[in-house]
Amino acid sequence: MEHGGNLVNRTIMLPASVDEAVEALAVTPGAVPVAGATDLMEAVNAGRLRPAALIGLGRITELRGWRYEDGGTAVLGAGLTHARMDRPDFAALIPALADAARTAGPPQVRNVGTLGGNIATAAPTGDTLPVLAALEATATLARAGAVREVPISHLLTGLDPLRPGELLTWVRVPLLHAPQVFLKSTGRSGPARAAASVALVLDPARRGVRCAVGAVAPVPLRPLEAESWVAGCIDWDARGAEGAVLIDPAALAAFGEYVAGACVPEGGAHGEGAGSAAARLRRTVAVLARRALGRALK
Amino acid sequence: MTDELLNHPGALTGDVRPTASYTLRVNGVERPVTDAWIGESLLYVLRERLGLAGAKDGCEQGECGACSVQVDGQLVNGCLVPAALAADSEIGTVEGLSGAGGASDVQQALADSGAVQCGYCTPGLAMAVHDLLQRNHRPGEVEARQALCGNLCRCTGYRGALAAVQAVADAREAALEAELDAAEQAAAAGPAAEPPAAAPPQPDHGAELPLYADSELWHEADQLIPAQPQGETPRTGGYAYPPTPPHGTPVPADWQQAPGEPFGAPAPGTDPFGTVTYQDAGPYDGTVYATDGYGTQYPGYDATPAHGIRLPEDENA
Ligand SMILES: Cc1cc2nc3c(=O)[nH]c(=O)nc-3n(C[C@H](O)[C@H](O)[C@H](O)COP(=O)(O)OP(=O)(O)OC[C@H]3O[C@@H](n4cnc5c(N)ncnc54)[C@H](O)[C@@H]3O)c2cc1C
Ligand code: FES
Ligand code: FES
Repeated sequence: MEHGGNLVNRTIMLPASVDEAVEALAVTPGAVPVAGATDLMEAVNAGRLRPAALIGLGRITELRGWRYEDGGTAVLGAGLTHARMDRPDFAALIPALADAARTAGPPQVRNVGTLGGNIATAAPTGDTLPVLAALEATATLARAGAVREVPISHLLTGLDPLRPGELLTWVRVPLLHAPQVFLKSTGRSGPARAAASVALVLDPARRGVRCAVGAVAPVPLRPLEAESWVAGCIDWDARGAEGAVLIDPAALAAFGEYVAGACVPEGGAHGEGAGSAAARLRRTVAVLARRALGRALK
Repeated sequence: MTDELLNHPGALTGDVRPTASYTLRVNGVERPVTDAWIGESLLYVLRERLGLAGAKDGCEQGECGACSVQVDGQLVNGCLVPAALAADSEIGTVEGLSGAGGASDVQQALADSGAVQCGYCTPGLAMAVHDLLQRNHRPGEVEARQALCGNLCRCTGYRGALAAVQAVADAREAALEAELDAAEQAAAAGPAAEPPAAAPPQPDHGAELPLYADSELWHEADQLIPAQPQGETPRTGGYAYPPTPPHGTPVPADWQQAPGEPFGAPAPGTDPFGTVTYQDAGPYDGTVYATDGYGTQYPGYDATPAHGIRLPEDENA
């Protein structure tokens, strides 16, 4: 195969920079960007997708790392793999995202699956999504000659979706320098998709708690009322003091119930009762949220 | 989940069967592929076009790991790699492990330790074990479980595979020590002695960042995981339980003493797997478990383990 240029031929393209990639997308509108291919090939193998052309993003080295911006923001490349995000240097920056990446499938999948692919696929069980929602991250979308910045939540809810010819290039995440927790409940103890997940981050500068529940709805849900209520129950001034109890255990438990009530609807006519699927899911979410806040405040 | 992919602008438009020709470098040998549909997976191309049927097709969805191969030194599922995009990469398959026709030490250890029954998962497991030992010469129990958690085996229950990991690690360490000893003695015997044997060859990825190069720092990443109690756990009440269940969730050594937990030790004399009843936890009692749910706080164990957290929904954890 001839690799003189970076666009090999019209069916397989291997751009080496974002500019080349958006250009390739512009001239071949039917082409599909491919990052780790873990979601894409699953669809191809199942006969749900027949790509007209492939644009491999793996050579765009700039998107495989991250950089810092005006002190308080990390700009993450869309090509960061789950395996990379799980490493200690990254975990020190954004612990909840590292925890989410650590659980996103078996090693074979995490070695190549990327942050950008996780967002673009926007699966309900996407593990990075609740974390990005809780962090109020934004995405940079590039297409030939234009770049725009969209909150991840707008992207996921379809308020402002990825448009044809657009490439997800960067994800902007505020660095909060405070405890963050991601917890995930699965049907088995091996790698599996989430039955429910909770991402919780503390924002001590604003005395805020931000929480998002994943996998129980098509997009991550933010229980905003529960967040603002519980932020008022926390003894922020005692943070860092030896042996300080930052929150009343009863408030912690109530927070769990509050989050679950906000995110999992009451079971319908068929599902009523303590043993119903909805009731179990509520309970799972309540436990995850309570534990997440408990760990964050420890 | 990937239904949106159907609406992808690229879906079902343009050329009905776009193809590409490329050359794959498999186990160091250049293998041309001509006019292959661009949607063909590396697994398919290896098996059906290149006659390398070692990697197995178990699910085509990344779930089973039977198709595990190395691309640029990274373990991946061959069924999830578009073959055309691996054209620049160094591909390693199970055929490359058994260089001279005989089984590699990993394959032999798998066979010896009872990790092979029907054998369908074995090529993938061999690749995963090989990959693990390349990155980590002395994997602990948890590290080994994590490394193999993407390889499903319906027959053996993984104990054999885990034993094989330790057996190979031990054997390689012993061989290295013997070599060093021999070299030392030879050096002491005189300058005309043989040079020490070279270290086992490592793949050289060159200076350029290969397509799938990442995550080589497995050791560091794993330090977030607490040390697994190794060997026998002291048993109480005559109740024998396996130190760690095969599915890999670490059980704290003192779990039986945890007071008031729904999973207490069964009464002495009861069948541990037959008559344990999980108490219905009833309404939430307000107890706060700001720990991992086992009532134990691990140092540095705030991270979700790689195998996820199991949260039985009827457990009042
Ligand atoms: C066995 C298995 C288990 C899994 N378990 C989990 C799990 O537990 N949790 C979880 O969250 N996920 C899981 N996944 C899903 C998958 O691994 C992740 O969603 C991964 O992050 C996808 O990334 P990718 O790079 O492989 O995406 P790809 O498959 O390469 O791409 C997916 C889609 O996104 C588009 N795309 C990719 N990158 C860009 C970009 N930069 N700009 C625009 N569009 C882009 C592609 O065109 C494609 O439509 C699992 C997958 C498998 C096969
Ligand atoms: S065939 Fe590839 S993981 Fe099952
Ligand atoms: S030996 Fe049969 S699947 Fe593993």
